[in-house]
Amino acid sequence: MTANLRYTITAVLAAGVALAFMPWLLSDFLLSLALSCLMYVALASSWSMFSGATNYLSLATSAFFGIGAYVTAWGLETLPYALAVPLGGVIAGAFAALVGAAVLHLRGAYFAVLTFGLGELVRHSITYFEKTYARTVGRVLSDPPEAVTVYLTVLLITVATVATCAAVRASRFGLALAGVGADEERAQTLGVNTRRVKIAGFALSAFFAGALGAAMAVRWTYIEPMSVFNPFIGFQTVLIAMIGGAQTLLGPVVSAVVFSLFSELLRLQFPYAYLMLLGLLLIVLVLYLPGGIGSLFRGRWARA
Amino acid sequence: MGFWLELAATGLITGGIYALVAMGLNLQYGLMRIMNISHGEFLMLGAYLTWLAHTVFDINPVAFLPVVAIVLFFGGLAVYRLCFRRIARTSPSVDVIEARSLLVGFGLMYLVQNAALLAWGADMRGYSYLADAVEIGGARFAANRLLAFGFAIAASLALLALLRWTIFGKAVRAMMQSPTGAQLVGIDTAVLHPVVFGAGLALAGMAGGLLSMVYEITPSMGEPYTVTALIVITLGGLGSAAGCLAGGLLLGLVEAFGMHFTNPSLKTLLSYGVFIGVLLARPKGLFAR
Amino acid sequence: MPEMLLRARGVYVRFGGLVAVDRVDLEVRAGELVGVIGPNGAGKTTFFHTLSGVLAPTAGQLIVGGEDLTGHAAHEFANHGVARTFQTPRVFRDMSAEDNVRFGLEFAGRRRKHARDAFDNPAAILDLLGLGDVAAIPAGGLTPAKQRLLEIGMALGARPRVLLLDEVAAGLTHAEVDATAQLIRRVRDEAGLAVIWIEHAVRVLMNYVERVAVLHQGAKIADGDPRKVARDPAVVEAYLGEEGGGERKAA
Ligand SMILES: Nc1ncnc2c1ncn2[C@@H]1O[C@H](COP(=O)(O)OP(=O)(O)O)[C@@H](O)[C@H]1O
Ligand SMILES: [Mg+2]
Repeated sequence: MTANLRYTITAVLAAGVALAFMPWLLSDFLLSLALSCLMYVALASSWSMFSGATNYLSLATSAFFGIGAYVTAWGLETLPYALAVPLGGVIAGAFAALVGAAVLHLRGAYFAVLTFGLGELVRHSITYFEKTYARTVGRVLSDPPEAVTVYLTVLLITVATVATCAAVRASRFGLALAGVGADEERAQTLGVNTRRVKIAGFALSAFFAGALGAAMAVRWTYIEPMSVFNPFIGFQTVLIAMIGGAQTLLGPVVSAVVFSLFSELLRLQFPYAYLMLLGLLLIVLVLYLPGGIGSLFRGRWARA
Repeated sequence: MGFWLELAATGLITGGIYALVAMGLNLQYGLMRIMNISHGEFLMLGAYLTWLAHTVFDINPVAFLPVVAIVLFFGGLAVYRLCFRRIARTSPSVDVIEARSLLVGFGLMYLVQNAALLAWGADMRGYSYLADAVEIGGARFAANRLLAFGFAIAASLALLALLRWTIFGKAVRAMMQSPTGAQLVGIDTAVLHPVVFGAGLALAGMAGGLLSMVYEITPSMGEPYTVTALIVITLGGLGSAAGCLAGGLLLGLVEAFGMHFTNPSLKTLLSYGVFIGVLLARPKGLFAR
Repeated sequence: MPEMLLRARGVYVRFGGLVAVDRVDLEVRAGELVGVIGPNGAGKTTFFHTLSGVLAPTAGQLIVGGEDLTGHAAHEFANHGVARTFQTPRVFRDMSAEDNVRFGLEFAGRRRKHARDAFDNPAAILDLLGLGDVAAIPAGGLTPAKQRLLEIGMALGARPRVLLLDEVAAGLTHAEVDATAQLIRRVRDEAGLAVIWIEHAVRVLMNYVERVAVLHQGAKIADGDPRKVARDPAVVEAYLGEEGGGERKAA
C-alpha cells in the first residue's frame, strides 16, 4: 500500500466514523437527507469506478439497484437484514457479470444502449414473475429494520465503496481499467486480458449498487417494480458522476452531496426545470470541460 | 386464416415504424459515430407537435407530417451545430467522438424530456383520427394503423431510393465506406454531417407524428424506441438502410408472434432476447455476407 | 542454433475482396534482427497485426515459442513475449510517459525477466531512449517523434522476447535514424531479443539488419542477406513503380 493510498483510506474511514454519530445529532428530516446524500455518493463512486475509468457508459445502475431491492423484498422474511444486503450485492454483481460477458466485447455505443434498457427488462421480468407465480404486484415489508440501522448500513456501504474505489485506482486492476479506457487494443497488446478486466470491473461496480438497493429497499414499506427500478436513480447517478468528474475520486463524492441536497430542495418545487438544468449542465461540461469539474483540481488530493 | 393475417399485419405495422425510427439513427451512427441516445425524444417531439396541430388548430395530422419533418430537420441542424460539431472537431479519435456524443445525447434526453414535461405535463394525451376499422381479406385493422404503416414504408423506401440514386445519397454511402477517400474526391463533411443529422431527426419526428395517430402519447414515450432502434440496427447491420427496413419489419413480426405465443408482458424480454442472440451469433447483422 | 521464437506459416489475410497478406512464411530466432520492407500498402502492418494477435489471420498458423497461438487474443501473444509498436503512436495520452512504460511491466512484463535485467524499471527504459527528462509529462503532450520512441519504451516494458517495430524511423533525420538503429541493436544484444523491424523506406533498413524480407502486394518475394536482396530482380521490379521509394516518407 502506498503512503498516498493509506492516507486516503484513513481519511475515508475517519469521515465514516464521524458520520456514524449523525443519527443522534440530526432531526429525522436531516437524517433522511443525509441518507440520500450517502446513497448517491456510493452510487456515483461505484459507477465511476467502472465507467469513469473505462469510458464504457453504463446506464444499468437502476437495474442493479432494483435487483438488490428485490433480494430484500423476497428474502427479508427468511433472512436477516445483515445477510440480505450483501446477498443483494452478490446477485446484482453476478447478473452484471452475465450481461457483461454477453455484450462487453462490443463497441461502447452498443453497451450504453443495451444497459439503457436493462432496467426496463429486469423490471418487466420481475413484474411478469410476480404476477404469474406470486399473484401479486408488490410486496409489503412486514418487519423493516429501524431507521438508525438502515442509516448505519448505508453508511458502511458508502465507506466501503469509496475506500474500494481508492484502492482500485492504486492497483494493477485499476491500471488495467484505465488502459481499457485509454486505448483498449493497446492495453491488450501489453498483456491485459481486457475482456476479463471489464467484466470484473462491471460486476464489482454492480455489487455496490445492488447492496445499496438491498439496504435502501426497506425505506419503502411497499415494494413494487415501478418504484425500485426507477430509471431516475440511474440517470441521476450518471449525471452526478460525470459533472463531478468520473475520473477523479473526490469529484463524484462532492458532486453527489451537492446535487442530492439541490435535488431534495428544488425537486419538489421545480422538478422539471431542475432536471433540465442537470441535462444542460452535462452537455455544456462534455463540450467544454470533458473531464468534469473535478478535472480542474487534478491535484494530489483529487487523484489519490 | 384471418387471425394469422391480422397478427402478421400487426407485427408489420409496428415493424414499419421501428424501421423508420431506426433508419435515421443508423445513418447518423454509420456516418458520424454519433449514437444519439435522445433519438426517441425527438420522436416524442414529433408526436406532440402533431397532437398540438390537431387538437389546437384542427390540422389534419397527415397533412401536418411534412411540417413536422421540416421543423425537426432544422432543429437537427441546430442541435448538430450547437453540440456535435464541436465534439467532432475537438475529439482526438473516433472512439472519443462516440463516447462524448453518447453523453451529450444523454444530456439532451434529459433536457428535452423534462422540457416536454414542463410544457405539457406527464399525462397521456391523444386524439382520435381515422379510428374506424377497415376489413381486408377477413382481417380487421384500424384505418389509422394502416395509414401509419403505409407512410412508414413509403418514407423508408423514399430514403432508400435517395441513398441509392441521388448524388447526395452516393456521397453519404461513399463517406461511410471510406471517410478519407470520400474527402479526397471532394465530398464536404461540413455540409453532409449536419444534413444527415437533421434528416435523422426528421425521420424520427415523422415516426412520432404517425404514432400519435395510433397511440396515446406521453413525454417519456420516446425512450423505448431508442432501445428498439438499436436492436433494429443490430439486426440490419450498421450503416445499412435496407437492412434497417428488413430488420424493423422482422422485429415487429417477432414481437407480434412472440407475444401471441407467450405473453404480452414479455415483449421487452423478447426483443432483448433477439438482440443478445444476434449480438452473440451475428454481430455484424443478420444480413451481412 | 538459437531458439525459434516466432514462426508464421502461410499467413493469409483478406479484407472483403482485397488480399492484404498472401500466404507469408517467416521464422525468427532469438538474437536475430530481421527487416521487413515493402512499398506502401504491401501488407506489412497487417502482417504485424497477425503476428501480435490484434487480427486473426483468415488462414495460416502462428507459433510463438513453440506454442500455437493462432486465433488467440492479443494479450496472450503479449504474455508469450510478443510486443509491438504501432505505426501511428498509440500511447496512453493522459498517463505520464513513465506510467506508459510501467503499463507493460505490470502486465505482460510481469511474467518474465529479461536475460539481463537492464530494463526492469521504467526509469531505466526511459533513460535508454533519451526520454528521462519527460518521464512525468502526459504522453499526449510529447512531440510525435518522442511518442514514437515512447512506443518502443512501452513495448520494452512488456519485456518481450520478440519485438515488432512498425516504421519507428519514419520522419526522422539521417542522424536520428542512425541513433535509433544503434539503440535497437543494443537492446537486441543486451536482452537477447528477436527483433522484426518494418520500414517503408528501403535504405533505412539495409545498413542495419542482418536479414531482410520483402513484401509486395501481400506476398513475400524475397528473404535473405540485404545485399543480395537489394539486387534481386523481383525486388527491383516491385520498387520500380515507386521511383525514389528509398527517400519517400511513409504515409
Ligand atoms: N481494416 C482494413 N480493412 C480493409 N482494408 C485494409 C484494412 N487494413 C489494411 N487494409 C488494406 O490492406 C492493404 C495493406 O495495408 P497495410 O498492411 O497497412 O500496408 P503497409 O503497412 O505495408 O503500408 C492496403 O491495401 C490497405 O488499404
Ligand atoms: Mg504500415
